[in-house]
Amino acid sequence: MKNYIFSRVIKSIVAVMVVVSIVIVMLYTMIPRYKIFEKDEGYKKMSGDARTTYMYSRYEELGYLDFQQKSEMCSNASDNYEACMVNDSEELNAVISEYENNGYVVDYLRNGDPFVYHDYNPLQLIWNFYSKLIQIDHPGYVKDENNPDIERKYYIGESPNGMPAIMCSGCQYKYQLYFNSSFPFIHINAIHFNFGISYPTNEGMPTWQVVSQGQGSQVSTEQTFPSGVVEKSPLNQYTCQYKPILDTIDQRRFTDNYANCQSYYESPSMINTSYIFGIIALVIAYVVAIPSGIAMARNKGKIVDKAGIVVINFLIAVPSLALIFFVRQIGSIFNFPDRFPILGFEDIRSYIIPIIILALLQIPSLMTWTRRYMLDQSNADYAKFAKAKGLSQKEIFTKHILKNAIIPIINGIPSSIILCISGALLTESAFAIPGMGKMLPDAINASNNNMVINLTFIFTALSIFSILIGDLLMTVVDPRIQLAAKGGKKK
Amino acid sequence: MTDQELFAFKRADDSASEHISAPKYSYWQSVFRKFFSSKTAIVMLVIALTVVLIAFIQPILSGYDPMETPNINNPSMRFIRPNGEFWFGTDDKGNSLFDAVWAGTRNSLIVSFSATIITQILGVTVGMFWGFSKRFDAIMIQIYNVLANIPMTLVAMIMMYVLGSGMPQLIFALSVTSWISTAYFIRVQVMIIRDREYNLASRCLGTPTVKIITHNIFPYLISVIMTSISRDVPSFISYEVFLSFIGVGLSQAHASLGRMIQTYSSYMTSAPYLFWIPVFISAFISVSLYIVGQTLADASDPRTHMV
Repeated sequence: MKNYIFSRVIKSIVAVMVVVSIVIVMLYTMIPRYKIFEKDEGYKKMSGDARTTYMYSRYEELGYLDFQQKSEMCSNASDNYEACMVNDSEELNAVISEYENNGYVVDYLRNGDPFVYHDYNPLQLIWNFYSKLIQIDHPGYVKDENNPDIERKYYIGESPNGMPAIMCSGCQYKYQLYFNSSFPFIHINAIHFNFGISYPTNEGMPTWQVVSQGQGSQVSTEQTFPSGVVEKSPLNQYTCQYKPILDTIDQRRFTDNYANCQSYYESPSMINTSYIFGIIALVIAYVVAIPSGIAMARNKGKIVDKAGIVVINFLIAVPSLALIFFVRQIGSIFNFPDRFPILGFEDIRSYIIPIIILALLQIPSLMTWTRRYMLDQSNADYAKFAKAKGLSQKEIFTKHILKNAIIPIINGIPSSIILCISGALLTESAFAIPGMGKMLPDAINASNNNMVINLTFIFTALSIFSILIGDLLMTVVDPRIQLAAKGGKKK
Repeated sequence: MTDQELFAFKRADDSASEHISAPKYSYWQSVFRKFFSSKTAIVMLVIALTVVLIAFIQPILSGYDPMETPNINNPSMRFIRPNGEFWFGTDDKGNSLFDAVWAGTRNSLIVSFSATIITQILGVTVGMFWGFSKRFDAIMIQIYNVLANIPMTLVAMIMMYVLGSGMPQLIFALSVTSWISTAYFIRVQVMIIRDREYNLASRCLGTPTVKIITHNIFPYLISVIMTSISRDVPSFISYEVFLSFIGVGLSQAHASLGRMIQTYSSYMTSAPYLFWIPVFISAFISVSLYIVGQTLADASDPRTHMV
């Protein structure tokens, strides 16, 4: 069993990596790269050399190519920096031809300065992504010329809420591991995912921060700072990073250089928003679909069953988009908002209609399968035996058949999250809900490649691991099932 | 009376002994008899056929092109409510919505039908070999285990983003992401019947594998394939509408129901007919095609032919 889980986890990781690699190569090589500037107002206002350098530095920042300007070329490839910096000098020409031999393309700015660039090939693109993906914080992280004597060590200190925390001096983050009352209670800052910078929307912010940071306006709370000052502030002290230059407010509040903190926001982040909707809808779908599937199986061929089949067929056949708008229209008759932002996060009415729709999208397949499994089980020998023993129909269904039929349904619970994704894409777009589902089409339409890669990673990883958890859950519920059976194939 | 008078000589008739007294059975005849015994199916078939015919003929007559807007500078032509002249009214650019909706429907149908055909041909062919060859199965099941876990909606979206919006790209993206699940579905079916007694007998009698596949197994698969088709066609229509709605499906140059729904959702209160007509039509086509397909799939299962 341990071996099985291990090999499944490895396979899952490989699957995620394969998908993400393919997406990276496709996004970086097949989409015309000038498209990223279509939404960039600053770029449109520039002209001449400024525009050229801005363009190439953006490409380099986003990982398209390696771009070097004259000063960088000279400091990298020449021993005589001063001589090299003179245009048309022998030294510079030698440097240029060296770069040319290494496969770089040479071009000149209007002022005569040379620059070189070279596109990354698919393998380099993939390597660049994965080599930067996981960032482990360490005490040697901070390299600040103004503060060379910074102490470099881990220590156990006290976090702002009085709980002990593993802290670090010299790392990027002050709190490496800490506990507080917000989910998931144990927080680790030592390892971070780096999915690149978001551009052109949410310019300059790491894409991971865009989807995981709270939204809306900042919320201030009364808090004590390391210097002992008690002030109202929105800062989240647990997230403080090293800041080279402190301003006067920072100096009043902090005793060290860890003053670059994120803030608390009034509304949940994109990930949490999607989760709130997805999980409540999932619960509702199961609560509705399983009893009605059971009722259909118990009354097979009768009016309940036939009506159920009509409902299921209707829900499957109607395009999900049409279904969403039908339900939204019905909702607006009963005074529910047809857009999420109208009433916002605080009002419960904003949630009701989208959740009903998300549940409706999952109900038909759940109902069909519940009915199918129940019927299959009711033809089994043990069910006939129970009937021969003289048990009532109700007892047979609740005590015998249900226990067996529920197993494959439990297997499906985590993988319903996948269904949530495609449902969430549409529902969140139709209701303008600020979640991950809406972010994906938005990022695609804005040519925000790093964001697309980040979301692909999140969605694929979520769905692959949820299927794995579903399989493991099944073995817990039914000890007869063994995933690692010899020679057997899991269907 | 003598024996000669009572009895007449009769020659032995070889052909009579070959005669089978069971009622004549024709597969396709039974399929159609079964299909036409359902009244809902007949109504839905008429609706589906009408929709398909209008969708393919009307755009030829109207010559609708979403890029041409002859009435764009004529405010009196815009936002005309549905009436005798413009059955579905006119849109914000002064074009007739009736023309636009049918051109969009035709594109949806072309995309959905082509993607279904490609998916089925590829899926069934690969699925047959997959179910039959154990060596091929060992490789394919590993590939499937990786691919099956990936949310295909996401892949189709990213593919459309990369390839650019257009009809061939959309058909490609839809088929590429769905053929493997069809192949897997067929594989399971083939494996179930591959080792049945009649196939073992056939093999013992020396029937070549190709003949077993085409004569013994393929006929059994027809109802399975029909079920799969009846699910695919509406789901691809739904898919096209969905992708065009979020802006990665068909391009501006193609009329598309999804894009119409997306564009006109801003006129929901001022000109609701613009928004609701495409929504209704998309629901209409896919429901009618789904029910026709389901009934046909039921009818093509030989087990339902026994009276």
